[in-house]
Amino acid sequence: MAIGGRQRNHLSQAQAAWLLLLPFLTVYGAFLVYPFFRGIWISLHDWNLLAVAFNPDAREFVGLRNYERILWGRNIEWAALANPALQITGMIGFGFSAFLYWTNRASRATAIALGLAAVLLFVLPGFHPGEGGRWYDRRFWPTVGNTILFVGWTVPGVTLSSLVLAAALNRETRAMSVLRTLFFLSQVLSVTVVTLIWQIMFSPRQGLIANITEAFGGSPIVWLTDERFAMVAIVITTIWWSLGIAMILFLAGLQDISRDLYEAGALDNATGVRAFWYITLPNLKRTITLVIVLQIILHFQVFGQSHLMTNGGPNDTTQVLVRYVYQTAFRDSELGRASAMAVFLFVIMGSFSILQFIIGREEEN
Amino acid sequence: MKHILIGAALATAAVTGASAQELTLGRFFGACEDAGTDTSVSVGEACIIQSIINAASAEIDGVTVDTLPTDWGNYYDQIIAAYAGGTPPDIHVLHRHRIPQFAGLGALADLSDDLAAAGIDVTDWAPAALDAVSYNGGIYGVPMDFHANLWHVNMDLMTAAGLVDDNGAPILPSSPEELLEHAQMMHDATGLDYLAADFAQFPIGVRLVLALMWQQDANIFDGDTATIDTEAARNSVTAITQLFDAGLANPQLNYADSQQAFLNGEAAILVNGTWVVDFYTAEAANEDVALSNYYVADFPTLFDQGATWADSHMWAIPSSLQDNEAEYQAALQVLAFINDHNIDWARTGHMAVRNSVLESEAYANLPHRSEYSGTAAIARDTPPSANYGAIQDVLNRELQAIWLTGKSVDDALADAQAEVQDLLDR
Repeated sequence: MAIGGRQRNHLSQAQAAWLLLLPFLTVYGAFLVYPFFRGIWISLHDWNLLAVAFNPDAREFVGLRNYERILWGRNIEWAALANPALQITGMIGFGFSAFLYWTNRASRATAIALGLAAVLLFVLPGFHPGEGGRWYDRRFWPTVGNTILFVGWTVPGVTLSSLVLAAALNRETRAMSVLRTLFFLSQVLSVTVVTLIWQIMFSPRQGLIANITEAFGGSPIVWLTDERFAMVAIVITTIWWSLGIAMILFLAGLQDISRDLYEAGALDNATGVRAFWYITLPNLKRTITLVIVLQIILHFQVFGQSHLMTNGGPNDTTQVLVRYVYQTAFRDSELGRASAMAVFLFVIMGSFSILQFIIGREEEN
Repeated sequence: MKHILIGAALATAAVTGASAQELTLGRFFGACEDAGTDTSVSVGEACIIQSIINAASAEIDGVTVDTLPTDWGNYYDQIIAAYAGGTPPDIHVLHRHRIPQFAGLGALADLSDDLAAAGIDVTDWAPAALDAVSYNGGIYGVPMDFHANLWHVNMDLMTAAGLVDDNGAPILPSSPEELLEHAQMMHDATGLDYLAADFAQFPIGVRLVLALMWQQDANIFDGDTATIDTEAARNSVTAITQLFDAGLANPQLNYADSQQAFLNGEAAILVNGTWVVDFYTAEAANEDVALSNYYVADFPTLFDQGATWADSHMWAIPSSLQDNEAEYQAALQVLAFINDHNIDWARTGHMAVRNSVLESEAYANLPHRSEYSGTAAIARDTPPSANYGAIQDVLNRELQAIWLTGKSVDDALADAQAEVQDLLDR
């Protein structure tokens, strides 16, 4: 009887699990799941932010029209060589990934991912407005292109520089731990502070960079308003800002590598750069994948750097997707259209998350 | 003990008074930490307006005003989001050009019937000021100024280039050809740029081009039809790009850099608004600043008729505040206080809106005031539109593409035309 009573007072394991998960699920549901589906719901409407605030009936269900308005156009045609540079790169990329797979240089998942990216690179740039046609939204695809360009420069930049830094700082001395802290410090700054610092650095009149160029007799670059340098400027800023986390991840990965491997390598005359190439890099493979995927997802959401440093300019060369979503929603009050763009961004980031999941599983196997 | 606590609470309530109203206020103009409550000594837009707000909070019985932190560049985005979330500030500033967007949706309180009781004399407002706050027969705000683009002039450089008349006033161009000629004279005499402006950040370059279009009796749209890809627009743009092409002006300076170039004596003329007149006057008096002989001129007429870009700042109350009579009355009192201090705000360099201030000696004696007295008569703006912000952005982008990235004038105007038409069609 006593035992039975105790059992009655106890929760089963599943019940306990649900109870403990409840606070998390509530918050997760209320602040992530619900807004996400609500966003999709809004994207199916003609929804003026201000008008609906004053009159809830001011919205109109339009189905997929918002998606058509941002993604498509009138008389859109496809041609195999509408944008030769990108499409040929795509074809070469496809051949390359097939080659990697058949020669067993890349795993199946990596080859499929690479091949898929190459096919997209071949197919997507092929669409263009035909005779008398036009994109409904002339800024959307260039903005997507800018965002990809930003990610394409920032992610390798962050990965390479943080890897080199981590390898250099992976020693147990006081100086190294001070340096590690210093390099991590930039990460804790907010985007407003970071962009302010770099706006001053890049200023052609009083900036450090301009002063150095002038000291060597050059004329200063007007970084933020020159079409050729504006994107570079925000990439440099972002690399400086987001080195820290990647560096910490690499340090953790480095410390996981057994000392024995280096000792064995040293016997075979593999030290310094050779040891880094043949021992460190192969053992860091998982960390590198993790860092790259995390950075891709993070940097697709770039907003502050573009918004605060260049206002998306000059001539829209640094206009990025989140800033376009923001402007459409809050400046133009077109919430439905902005939500459709946000869903598009979600699909891009979601596919990278799935990719990471697949690669992670494959490595475990 | 319990009784003492209740007693203390009741006493506090009695002292603060049941009518104590705490109002939130949203504004741009920048931050000023130590503005104080003396409205007659502060300098610059941020400190002058904050001193007026602080004084209102201190002097109006039972009303305290809390200024919300907002940022210039994102001000309207913040205000729109606040309205959408149902928590707009109790009082906020806005431009004349935003009235169609906000009042058109019923966001703003119609103040017509309540202004007189609050001590605001509508008949004292200049006709253009009343017009600025009126929309569909209602009055949706209390106007605070007219502001416009001016030519800020460094007279030492103009003298060096021989561009000063017998009365000591600058000789300004009267045609695009003369503009180029004067710029060349400046370059030959001093090696410096004739004209600087923010062509790379805020839409000051847009306002310059718009002014030149209005001077040809043209506009960027007419009703629902965009009219940007026109000969008038081409003339306006090339009047400016000829300076860049000849190396007589630098299109890459942003707001801060162009202002610095002018203060450093590196450019003879800066195109900027009325809001900096008191600041430049103070800087010119500073021995460490290269600019010392400062003059303010009306925007010159390069084509057929005078025109310069202009707008108005005004104060509005959300319509939702009318549900709470006590708060609404408190907000009206703050608007009346700001209206009473129109002369203090005019110290910035802005033009006053009240006839009694415009005709006063104190106003006439403000620095440089007589030099740009012609501006009120040539003040213009684009036709009203709920998409004003987006349209300005299109123009700013395409014009910057011309002078910063070498896009051809024809392509840029055609693209601007198509995009503005899209916005008008939405």
